[in-house]
Amino acid sequence: MAQEIYYEDVNVGDAMPELVKGPLQKLQHVMYAGASGDFNPLHTDDDFAKAVGMKDGVIAHGMLIMGIVGQAITGWIHRKDLKKFGVRFAGMTKPGNTITVTGSVTDKRVEDGNNIIVCDVAAKDENGDVKITGKFEAALPSKA
Amino acid sequence: MADLSKVGTEYSPITWEVERGKIRELAKAIGDPNPIYLDKDAAVAEGYEDTPASLTFLTVPMMWSDKMPAVINDLKINFMMVLHGEEEYEYYQSIYPGDVITGTPKVTKMEEKTSKSGSKMDMVTMEVLYTNQRGEKVAKARSLLVERK
Repeated sequence: MAQEIYYEDVNVGDAMPELVKGPLQKLQHVMYAGASGDFNPLHTDDDFAKAVGMKDGVIAHGMLIMGIVGQAITGWIHRKDLKKFGVRFAGMTKPGNTITVTGSVTDKRVEDGNNIIVCDVAAKDENGDVKITGKFEAALPSKA
Repeated sequence: MADLSKVGTEYSPITWEVERGKIRELAKAIGDPNPIYLDKDAAVAEGYEDTPASLTFLTVPMMWSDKMPAVINDLKINFMMVLHGEEEYEYYQSIYPGDVITGTPKVTKMEEKTSKSGSKMDMVTMEVLYTNQRGEKVAKARSLLVERK
């Protein structure tokens, strides 16, 4: 799926292809709970979520949104080239939100013979509210 | 309230056999159509031995092994008040179906912080270094949990 991307083809400031997903459905929380094993009812039970202060009910697993950011990354860069991926969970995602993942290259360097690129990533909803900010590093093949 | 004296605690290891169906199930739950996670032939065509674990797969052994709730209980964190603050992975090599990975969760940092609004929170950092059945390092996971007080 991901085309081969060479170190020489990537420049600081380049944008990662944008990924738009949504509107997200409550059903996806149930699927994600089962797949991941995170059965915190905050994500699947509206009554529970309201009782712990979420006035609109359930919120998405943060890790589901991180997974969507991961989808955007390995839709662009080969999975095997990824070296690091880290995020900060900045906001809650609700059913009905549409998530847009963006990213851009902030650094590139040769380190111990590896051609490393560093990218910032973010996930926002349709109102521009930030759900995740993060960063990844990949070691890309070289044409040389 | 988190028991801050528990910093440095190591828990019993998680041992987890990676299954192709679970890799595919997680990709489908995320809605990731990338065929390398769904179909062995497609993965092999792209240079993998089999369907590789996706970037966030290591949440599966952590949650399905019941380790995370056990650690949260041991740290005296109120499960109802805990938020996931950060998650970070370092990848050393691919994880494939049939691999048996083992990781020892370790609490590396615990501190109380005060938010801008003045409310207090306990910040707990946990790290798990995973090795495979050949004793090779495959990945490290770092999680930051935030307990609202």
